[in-house]
Amino acid sequence: MKEFNTRFQSYVTLIGRLLLGGVLLVAGGIKVAKPTDSANAVAAYKLLPTNVAHLFGYALPWLEVAIALLLIIGIMVRPAAIAGGVIMLIFIGAIGSAWARGLLLDCGCFGGGGEIDPSLASQVHRTYFIEIMRDLGLALTALYLYFFPYGKLSFEKAAVEE
Amino acid sequence: MAKQQVKSGDNTTRWIVIAMVLLVVVTGVVFSLMSQSNKENASLAALDGTKLQSAIVSTIDTANGSAITLNAGLPKTIDIWEDPQCPVCKNFEDANGGYIDSLIRDKKATVRFHVLSFLGDESVRAANASFCAADEGQYLDFHHALYAVQSSLENSGFWTNDKLVSIGKKIGINSTKFANCVTKGSKIDLVKTNYDSMPKFGVKGTPTVFINGKLWERKSPDFNLAEFKAAVEAA
Repeated sequence: MKEFNTRFQSYVTLIGRLLLGGVLLVAGGIKVAKPTDSANAVAAYKLLPTNVAHLFGYALPWLEVAIALLLIIGIMVRPAAIAGGVIMLIFIGAIGSAWARGLLLDCGCFGGGGEIDPSLASQVHRTYFIEIMRDLGLALTALYLYFFPYGKLSFEKAAVEE
Repeated sequence: MAKQQVKSGDNTTRWIVIAMVLLVVVTGVVFSLMSQSNKENASLAALDGTKLQSAIVSTIDTANGSAITLNAGLPKTIDIWEDPQCPVCKNFEDANGGYIDSLIRDKKATVRFHVLSFLGDESVRAANASFCAADEGQYLDFHHALYAVQSSLENSGFWTNDKLVSIGKKIGINSTKFANCVTKGSKIDLVKTNYDSMPKFGVKGTPTVFINGKLWERKSPDFNLAEFKAAVEAA
């Protein structure tokens, strides 16, 4: 495993950056175009006071795009990975909490969002599970990038090649 | 795991990048906030030149969830359950509002408006104001005005009581009785009774429409007048 990592780390880092950066770029890019949907979606989680939720909903898409660009270009990958990992953990917590409180929501992850008809309950619960697994995978990707931020096709290079 | 070493001496660059990211995010938020409130205030202009229609006396049908009832006692009944902030209710209103108006004004059907308020404080205020407008005989006018200026952002701070009074003024409801009723929240009990009656009638979301007590299920992806009209006429 260790040997594998030594040989292929620079490629794994590149794939990780494109994966996490790509998902954030798409998710953020869709929401940037429709900021009110994003604000409504955050408010629907009922975790923050409504006006704070709206501000968070307005900021989130831009934050996602900014982190995505840093990751993809390869600038400040470590801080960007920390930020990306933290927002993934926030998403996992928010979706988990909505599930635990019995809220039926469209997560609004890629635009849209809001409450869902109670007749679709079982479908929504399966979607929550898939979303949490996806975000967990992305959080682990961020963790890897925290340890190994430098790789192929990166603007910044490691100080010491390992 | 051994962490990769960070290149030394890039602290200035780091702060510049962090500042740039923050700038992007803050600019985005400010831009979104401004365009939202501009849009909301601009929407009020849509009410300019609105003429108040002739007053229609409405009643509160306590046997049916305390809905605002127009033309009580006709054989054909339509129950409309909606929240003033619900965007899909606006779609329903845009497609069928004019037709429902004509049913009421031509005394073709009893129409009961169940004004709900589950989308938050601004729905509660708007519902309260709707009952106030009903007391003036101007429920329909106020109902149309609310949907005409509905914000795409729920509970954005747009529908304060003062704003609701000025929406009333813009369409010609000028009485101080209306203004007091709105600002004092005089109809809150009715708002609550309406909301509490949802489970009794099996209403889980909005808009929900019953024609002669039977749930109307739309077939087309969007609301369209021809489909709704056919359903009402067939009943």
